[in-house]
Amino acid sequence: MHRPAAGAPDVTGASLLERRLVIVTGKGGTGKSTVAAALGLAASRAGRRVLVAEMGRDEALVPLLDPGGPPAGHGGRELAPGLEALHIDPYEALAEYLGLQLGGTRLVRSVLRNQAFHQLMQAAPGWRELITLGKVWHLEQMRTPAGRARYDLIVVDAPATGHGVAFLNVPRVVASAVRTGPLRRHTLAVEEMLEDPVRTLLLPIALAEELPARETAELVRRVREEVGIAVDRVVVNRVASAPFPAGLDRLDESLAELPQQLRCGELPSAGALTQCARFLRSRHELGHHYLERIAEQTGLPLVELPELAEGVIDPGSLGRLGEALVQAELE
Amino acid sequence: MTPESFAEELLRRRRVAVCIGCGGVGKTTVAAALALEAARLGRRALVLTIDPARRLADALGVESLGNQPQSLPRDALDALGVPSEGALSALMLDMKHTFDDLVERFAESEEARQRILRNPIYQQASNALAGSVEYSAMEKVYEMTESGEYDLVVVDTPPAQHALDFLEAPQRLIEFLESRVVQILIHPAFAAGRFGFKLFQHGARRILQLMERVSGISFLEDVSEFLLAFEGMSAGFRQRAARVRTLLLGPESGFVLVAGPGQEAVRQATELRQRIGGFGVELQGVLVNRVHLWPDGVLPDCLRPGAAPAPADVEALADALARACGPEPAPLELAQAAVSAAKGYAALVERDAGATGALQAWAEAEGRYWGRIPELPEDVHDLPGLARVAQSIFAREDTPIGGAG
Repeated sequence: MHRPAAGAPDVTGASLLERRLVIVTGKGGTGKSTVAAALGLAASRAGRRVLVAEMGRDEALVPLLDPGGPPAGHGGRELAPGLEALHIDPYEALAEYLGLQLGGTRLVRSVLRNQAFHQLMQAAPGWRELITLGKVWHLEQMRTPAGRARYDLIVVDAPATGHGVAFLNVPRVVASAVRTGPLRRHTLAVEEMLEDPVRTLLLPIALAEELPARETAELVRRVREEVGIAVDRVVVNRVASAPFPAGLDRLDESLAELPQQLRCGELPSAGALTQCARFLRSRHELGHHYLERIAEQTGLPLVELPELAEGVIDPGSLGRLGEALVQAELE
Repeated sequence: MTPESFAEELLRRRRVAVCIGCGGVGKTTVAAALALEAARLGRRALVLTIDPARRLADALGVESLGNQPQSLPRDALDALGVPSEGALSALMLDMKHTFDDLVERFAESEEARQRILRNPIYQQASNALAGSVEYSAMEKVYEMTESGEYDLVVVDTPPAQHALDFLEAPQRLIEFLESRVVQILIHPAFAAGRFGFKLFQHGARRILQLMERVSGISFLEDVSEFLLAFEGMSAGFRQRAARVRTLLLGPESGFVLVAGPGQEAVRQATELRQRIGGFGVELQGVLVNRVHLWPDGVLPDCLRPGAAPAPADVEALADALARACGPEPAPLELAQAAVSAAKGYAALVERDAGATGALQAWAEAEGRYWGRIPELPEDVHDLPGLARVAQSIFAREDTPIGGAG
């Protein structure tokens, strides 16, 4: 882990696996769903009962954890012992909520199926976020008949950065706008869950590249200023390992001394060898530069996840990423 | 398809070139490079981006990108070989501002305009209203195309949750404005006799009233007032939305799919390719960005996974290194590190080739252009960088590891 700069905010440092709710967010393309899936897998292998919850139009997590399996849908599905997945549908969640308020879901469902109502709801802002977070709260509150929490850990694959801040901010906005009534009570419960650093952690996923680095710094700043949800580390995904053995950091410069047309047997030309080495070194240096920038601008420790050489995401590589996520805490 | 016919199809014969692709694949850079290439072909090109980062502005060498087009200075264009009839401008879409512009244009009166802009539903919903973000983007494309200032508008598509939302946005907005719910809210008495209203009245109205009670927000009233104010604009709006749709889905627009090299990025790109067929538009080409290519043509077998180069070859390389660099660092260690670096790079080349193979086979079988843009070891941050991307797209120069020179 990179250490935060002096004067950085206090890091709570509790284990990821001890949280009740980990909300994973990051710029599109950073591997947000992959990290969420890896965390869910690692936690279930550590003996936790885990729910991975996703939102948005298409399911991204389930195809990673159970390639070729059926979608989880709003009803959810067990993917492996101790590992369930759920795809929150705001309309279904609204039907459930209003059904609970009205004492029956039949009327609610018939209305939600009404096209005119559907169009009206499409135009209404904020309710999808609120109802989705309300559903997460409901899941967090669920108890087994014996009175234990139904899920030890809920991993939420949240909307991408930018949308993510607006998403998490909705309960605050609603709670400040709505002064009385059941909605206010429920919203405050959701807000309390989100802002409880013992229960809830926001896990930003970054890449050691320019735009993701910039957006991550922006996300952390806005979360601190606007949202009040705990964030104690940044996960940097796909970090390339040092390209050359120790003591040979200028390999490309040595190779550049060779006549570039030279070929030794079956080996590529000296020119090609030089280019490969130069590429790997430049990329590594650039990545390092962005790692430092993320650490400096967020003041948070970084958890670096290795780039998968084979580039294939399967349950095996997810397992390795999950181990790396959990392992980072022990160091 | 040859690079020349791809350029002809996409950059010369169309008025709009749309780059579609999922987030994080470098669409903005590709869109800017395509616009630069169009300028080099003598067209007056505009790249319309949604990327708020300063990087594109920096790369283009303009002060900042705003909601109005910024032209690149003539001397910068001359340096890139853009002929005198060609030009390049860039515009960064400010979604909220674009929608406000529309309200200003179509509002019946100053009073109606103020009523809309002040309405709490509008303030919150102009970003959520029935795809208005995507609609605003497409509206800007239309405005720029119709301005007569540009021969080609290259569009970096908006970051919708669903990468094709923008294609549906004009239709969705029209449908919304024509929908029963809008009519009912505007003319409750008129709509009362219509089929379907009964369910709405007995069902939706109760739910809405319940939601108002639960929420304490006068939701119906605000929506109703907003739509009433909107009604006066809706005829102009509808006409315009229909024209936007015709421009986008008609023969004047061309489409390019931009993909990333990874397995997941290719899977998403393939899904997009299948979906876009449903809109009746054809892709002119597929461009894979940031792909690792082997420096001198064919990857030697001894670097493939599981293979190993002959020890004699590595020793020969060590001898050559000893002659060129002396005894420090140890030549054999250097040679071994060089081979393992080459193997490491070769693994990236193989990985990308494996992930993109099916997409390439599709493009070639269907006669679409297939272009690859090499992964550069540094970010594209200036005009020469963009020019290199354009060179790769149109295969004008073989620089597989682009930044190595």
